[in-house]
Amino acid sequence: MNDAHDDGLIRKAIGVLGALIMAVLGSAGLGFLLSPLVQKRDEGWVDVGPADAFKPGTPVQIQFVERTRDSWSVTEKRSSAWVLALDNGQITVFDPRCPHLGCPFRWNILDKRFQCPCHTAAFAADGAVISGPSPRALDRFESKIEDNRLLILPRPTQGHS
Amino acid sequence: MREWLKSRTGFEAIWKALFERAIPEAKGPVAWLYVLGSASLFVFIVQFTTGCLLAMSYAPTPDHAYDSVRFISDQVLAGRLVRGLHHWGATFMVVLVALHFSRVYFMGAYKFPREATWITGVCLLLLVLGFSFTGYLLPWDQKAYWATAVGTNIAAQAPVIGPSVAAVLKGGEEMGAATLTRFYAFHVLVLPALTALLIACHLFLVIWHGITEPPAREEDGAGDRRL
Amino acid sequence: MSQWHEEYLKRYKRAKQDGKPFFPYTVFKDTVFATLLLLALVGLALWRGAPLEELADPTDTSYNPRPEWYFLFLFQALKLFPGSLEAVAAVLIPGLIVGALFLLPFLDRGPRRHPFDRPLWLGLGVLAAGVWGWLTWAGITSPLTNPTVERNPLVSEGLRLYRILNCSYCHKIGGKGGAVGPELDKTAANKEAAWLERHFRDPQSVSPGSPMPKLNLLDDEIKGLVAYMQSLGGGGPYSDQAPRLFADHCSACHRIGKDGGDTAPDLSTIGSARDKAYLRRYIQSPSKLNPDSSMPSYKDQLSDVEIEDLARYLASQRE
Repeated sequence: MNDAHDDGLIRKAIGVLGALIMAVLGSAGLGFLLSPLVQKRDEGWVDVGPADAFKPGTPVQIQFVERTRDSWSVTEKRSSAWVLALDNGQITVFDPRCPHLGCPFRWNILDKRFQCPCHTAAFAADGAVISGPSPRALDRFESKIEDNRLLILPRPTQGHS
Repeated sequence: MREWLKSRTGFEAIWKALFERAIPEAKGPVAWLYVLGSASLFVFIVQFTTGCLLAMSYAPTPDHAYDSVRFISDQVLAGRLVRGLHHWGATFMVVLVALHFSRVYFMGAYKFPREATWITGVCLLLLVLGFSFTGYLLPWDQKAYWATAVGTNIAAQAPVIGPSVAAVLKGGEEMGAATLTRFYAFHVLVLPALTALLIACHLFLVIWHGITEPPAREEDGAGDRRL
Repeated sequence: MSQWHEEYLKRYKRAKQDGKPFFPYTVFKDTVFATLLLLALVGLALWRGAPLEELADPTDTSYNPRPEWYFLFLFQALKLFPGSLEAVAAVLIPGLIVGALFLLPFLDRGPRRHPFDRPLWLGLGVLAAGVWGWLTWAGITSPLTNPTVERNPLVSEGLRLYRILNCSYCHKIGGKGGAVGPELDKTAANKEAAWLERHFRDPQSVSPGSPMPKLNLLDDEIKGLVAYMQSLGGGGPYSDQAPRLFADHCSACHRIGKDGGDTAPDLSTIGSARDKAYLRRYIQSPSKLNPDSSMPSYKDQLSDVEIEDLARYLASQRE
């Protein structure tokens, strides 16, 4: 009788301790596995120089090196962007790829418009579509000015048509 | 449910053979010496689990190994805990296996009919040492690099074949990228496969022969003098 | 099968019949022990963590290679054998021991199991454990040849980047490197952190006309480089007296470069391993920082100003 009683208690203890072990190992494992859901990402702002270096009214193409952290490795990528400064000091930064099919457009000094070499899409200095097949205005990069340094986030946000 | 499982899987027969087998009674504190084997198995399971997790965020190249280990420790959720468990698990494993080995040695448990069990056990002991030697290099920090440099140079001391053995271990004349991938492959593929196989053999033999009863002095009449 | 084999099997069968089932009795002990092990593991993992030293550096000659403690016995055993016999300790003895382990059940075959009935094997086992323990202990307590390096991790990160980014193509540190840019241990080391940070973000912003490229470094990379630059100055300027102090008080045992004795560690690159504060404390009372040191305390022999001067001088001795 006593033995059977002990037996039941022992079985219960094994169950409880076993569950504890599984819980500890399981939660460590689950945390590790689910880690990508909570990891903070590098925002990726790139400092591209003094903000007052841009002449208002004329878009300028800038080249920059994007140094980003991909988990444990740091990668460098050369990219470019078009920067338009306005008289009031506001700055707009355009993705250098045409929203139509991704060709690299250029600023036409004579006509004062952006022109895409591939399918003749044309855009105004503020990015609005003037003519051609582009479905929308030029895509933009988010930008901000801190301590007179122009910082950009080289990921496109869609322009408005 | 139980009936269905019984008829479809035969688990009851397996359960009976594995778990309801009788164990000779060991009285007092001596009985606790018998947990060392199963404790080693438990730590192996911990090492396997944490090892699988670590492998998900580890890059076995000299350029990235160190950074990926730091990434695990600093960025991954529970990464510090999992890496800590794996590190201390390795130490515990060596201690437990050494104690288990001592218990079997001093109790003469390797004698008839358990000679084969002993041999698989010695193989497992060597595998544990192989695990710690190969695992040590993986973080690619100063300690890892120099301990492995010394370790492979020890192998190079062997007469005639030594230098060749060292070159094969290192994957070349110098320690570098090939050394790291080699050690990694051994640590996560070759050794675990061999260990799983040998654990299966070891456990089969333990169950087949039964666990040794604690030895008694000859004066107690339990021993046998006719030899 | 010999007679004792049969009898053993019979006796074992009886012992088994009198025994208890594996589950739950043995499993209970196993589970309790496994739980304790796991708690200890979690405790150690959270409290001590897994160590990670600096990135492997094959060119570093100041590192003290030490294996994990359970391999320390082998490491220590190698010291006992002269060069020509090293293979004996490294390969032959371990090989023989492993061979003997495999053969053990065939070497010790009698029916006796109790350790006291097998005095030879008991003795061998105790002897082996003793030798292992002794060698391990000797290994743990043997003094380190090189002074241990305790760099600030940020400084190490900076040094690493300095190498990865090939800064030495243009800059000199300790007289080594290119001549395009300034010598960093003479200039950058004395700059403010904020200035250095702005400089690394965009050299033009603080040094107009500088030919140094903008490197687009990440924030923590900049922190590392700033820390490294600031670590370069050693402990600040030292007086002309400092080398003479070294010659008078230290060079009987220590050397810097070509001059000095060899009974104590070479201090030619001590500044790379130790900072000024540490060196000052060491000169004041060596035994507090290194119990094995036979160096006398200079607390009463030199004034505080002299010790500071000497520490700065030593901190400036770099690779």
